[in-house]
Amino acid sequence: MLSIRNLTASVGDKQILKGLDLELPAGEVHAIMGPNGAGKSTLSNVLAGRDGYEVSGSATLDGVDLLELEPEQRAAKGLFLAFQYPVEIPGVGNMYFLRTALNAVRRERGEAEVSAVDFLKLAREHMARLEMDPAFLSRSVNEGFSGGEKKRNEILQMSLLEPRLAVLDETDSGLDIDALRVVATGVDGLRNPNRSMLIITHYPRLLEYVKPDKVHVLTDGRITRTGDHSLAHELEEQGYTPATAGTAS
Amino acid sequence: MSAVATSDADLVERLIAGATGTTPRAERGRAWLAANGLPTERDEAWRYTPVRDITAALATAVAAGTEATGVTRDLVDELAGDLGGPRLVLINGALAPELSDLTDRGAGLAGLWVGGGDELRARGSGGPYTGTAEPADGFQALNWVAGVDAAVVLIEAGNAIDAPIHVVHLATPGQMVALSHPRTVIKVGAGGRAQVVESFVGIDATADGRAITNSSTRIVVDDDAELTYQRVLNEPDTTLHIGRVGVVQRTRSQLHATAVATGGAVVRTAVHVNLTGERARADLGGLYLPTGHQRHDNVITVDHSASYCESNQNFTGIVGDHGRGSFSGHVIVRPGTVGTDANQSNPNLVLASTAQADTRPWLEIFADDVKCAHGATVGRLDEEAAFYLRSRGIPAAQARAMLVAAFASTALDRLSPDTLRERVASVVEVRTADTTANLETPS
Repeated sequence: MLSIRNLTASVGDKQILKGLDLELPAGEVHAIMGPNGAGKSTLSNVLAGRDGYEVSGSATLDGVDLLELEPEQRAAKGLFLAFQYPVEIPGVGNMYFLRTALNAVRRERGEAEVSAVDFLKLAREHMARLEMDPAFLSRSVNEGFSGGEKKRNEILQMSLLEPRLAVLDETDSGLDIDALRVVATGVDGLRNPNRSMLIITHYPRLLEYVKPDKVHVLTDGRITRTGDHSLAHELEEQGYTPATAGTAS
Repeated sequence: MSAVATSDADLVERLIAGATGTTPRAERGRAWLAANGLPTERDEAWRYTPVRDITAALATAVAAGTEATGVTRDLVDELAGDLGGPRLVLINGALAPELSDLTDRGAGLAGLWVGGGDELRARGSGGPYTGTAEPADGFQALNWVAGVDAAVVLIEAGNAIDAPIHVVHLATPGQMVALSHPRTVIKVGAGGRAQVVESFVGIDATADGRAITNSSTRIVVDDDAELTYQRVLNEPDTTLHIGRVGVVQRTRSQLHATAVATGGAVVRTAVHVNLTGERARADLGGLYLPTGHQRHDNVITVDHSASYCESNQNFTGIVGDHGRGSFSGHVIVRPGTVGTDANQSNPNLVLASTAQADTRPWLEIFADDVKCAHGATVGRLDEEAAFYLRSRGIPAAQARAMLVAAFASTALDRLSPDTLRERVASVVEVRTADTTANLETPS
């Protein structure tokens, strides 16, 4: 499904990703862990199409190179990025935003648009699963939301947009134990054989709820180690240094 | 005030040649013009107004005709909307009775008519003009001399009118550069309450024709009275509009005023509120969105001449293409007053490097017990927010239009009834689509 080949990314003179390779088959969940500054967030930004990076290599989703597409085209292809820091947008109602996004994606897929009434019903169902108060629909996008509410709103969007590939960028950061449980359970409930997930995280706690098929260690712009679920625990106990002794600076 | 240039004096002479009014108001205006002439860009309050463009256009202007030929009710509905309440329609400054709705909808409202100062005095409202006030500037003086009838909205003391009262000024320049001087008088008697919407619209000019509108709106809000005043300026892109709203607020009165400018080539909106009674409250807001080569200038003055008054000025500017928008927020706090609370804010969104936003707080505070806050921002579209929307599948142009509309929403949310807000919102939507079409993609 997702195939990343020799991906490089730099900002100005500074190279951050240095030839990253990754294969993520359909239906699998992979975690990417790694020390600060290794390039984890750059990877998610580059996949989603954020401006400001000089990029080479390829990242193909179902045979189409995402790097050639505009951000909205990537979303239409089925990519979803859960932001580490969801953006507050005063003046844009959350419900209006969610429905506009859903209909934009449905239009691209050749599906019928959802009416306001049907959307409200749909949104309420998805919100109930994430234990979200429907009142969040009538507020501006993320404005004044707590850290946990913002992350729930990200997972709500993921739930509504039904992506082929979800990239979760430190979705567990800034969450207390209860919020983590709700968000992580929500994410786990969205696993299915046609959907892949790339979970970028510092800590193994999210992975307790969403058990990854593989764990990759990203160090200095490359995948330096790959293992199964137990690698996350090993990293927590021993840190990244033993695994990266050869390349750590 | 600067000396009158000879050419200006000739121009003024020509512009008032046909005016025959002999009321005290007209005489006062005539004398003022003879002494002071028209303003120039050297006058502080006219610094951001392209006065030369206006005087150049005035050089070939003729007095607008007053026949309502060809204007239908459907056209008025299309241009200004039907808000469901009583409606006065004036064409080039004269009442169009067949287009107005006075009797059947004016339940409880005797005081809605078009007439002159004599009629105002005859009806016992005392008239808006006391015989001693001076015009604020040459254009208002010109309005006093050459303006004929006034649209009058008179709310008797203690009377509360719920239906929105709509005054529509329609300009039909035909083949000419047609100058009109619309006048409106709104008086809310002690303890009264009303909602007035003033719309300025026009018929698209022919190749040679354009309208110059020199409007004057006079408002008195008496003790304990409350007025919601909404001014919607959506004229064709060739129109020049010099507008002035003069307000006197008495003790414990409340004013909620909103001015929205979307059209015109040049639109100047000067609002002057004099808080003459204690504990009066003025809440002023607006939205202007010049694009193309439009100029929108707002000069907002609140004069705190009594104690314990509160004023807010909250104007939003969205400038695109080669448009230029400006806001001068003038607050005066008179000596001897106490307990003044005056706030100002002017957020601006600049959508192109060729667009310009000017913002100027202008505070003259002669008292100590004053809370005065002002804030202005000039920024570009939040690219982080645009990326967020695009990452959810929303196309770039639509994402930007959503963000521009969001920036306008604080001002639009001030408008009521819903029919008016939706109407103005849809005009703003069309405008923002235009504006974002010219939006530069950051490199």
